[in-house]
Amino acid sequence: MASSSGNDDDLTIPRAAINKMIKETLPNVRVANDARELVVNCCTEFIHLISSEANEICNKSEKKTISPEHVIQALESLGFGSYISEVKEVLQECKTVALKRRKASSRLENLGIPEEELLRQQQELFAKARQQQAELAQQEWLQMQQAAQQAQLAATASASNQAGSSQDEEDDD
Amino acid sequence: QAPTSAPGARLSRLPLARVKALVKADPDVTLAGQEAIFILARAAELFVETIAKDAYCCAQQGKRKTLQRRDLDNAIEAVDEFAFLEGTLD
Repeated sequence: MASSSGNDDDLTIPRAAINKMIKETLPNVRVANDARELVVNCCTEFIHLISSEANEICNKSEKKTISPEHVIQALESLGFGSYISEVKEVLQECKTVALKRRKASSRLENLGIPEEELLRQQQELFAKARQQQAELAQQEWLQMQQAAQQAQLAATASASNQAGSSQDEEDDD
Repeated sequence: QAPTSAPGARLSRLPLARVKALVKADPDVTLAGQEAIFILARAAELFVETIAKDAYCCAQQGKRKTLQRRDLDNAIEAVDEFAFLEGTLD
């Protein structure tokens, strides 16, 4: 996916995601546009802050991959310990889903397991994954709309270029 | 690139692929596990909620109903843990 700015440093969390969170946190509150912009930037900075600290913690351990534990320690050391209990719920959710999947596949190996049960679990997992994909797609859609606008402008420009080059064809039959 | 093995009910409101891209943008970071990304995304959500609420308190003190940028500025200055944000206040 090519980005128009081509620079990793210009990455931020999409505005739409931030707007949604602000709306859910402060329903019925008007928020100025430049305030929203600042929240987007602050959120990005927060992610850099925590991941940088987690990376240092990871380097000090013998591990090569940043683990949830490293992130949790980073939150603690940077004064965000109050987030830890909620953040751990995400981990629990991960384990629950992983456990379900493992149970489902081990059951497959046993005979007499109701296929309906497997099917039901599978559909549950798919529904959840679909929901997240829908959210992602929504945000990508917003970005695509912007890209489409730019493409339209580019198409108009190149159309006027083509009009002048019709002498390229030769009669080579 | 939506991870199909994402946590179920508690989906993050932040796009995980973007969070991952932000983490990887740091040249010092080599590898970050998927679960680490998940919980970082959740932490960032909590951060946004917290700072939005703090800023709203400032707006209320100023008897305004619209949250302005200066409310965020005030919230940032008031909280020690938000000191890292002072560079974004331009």
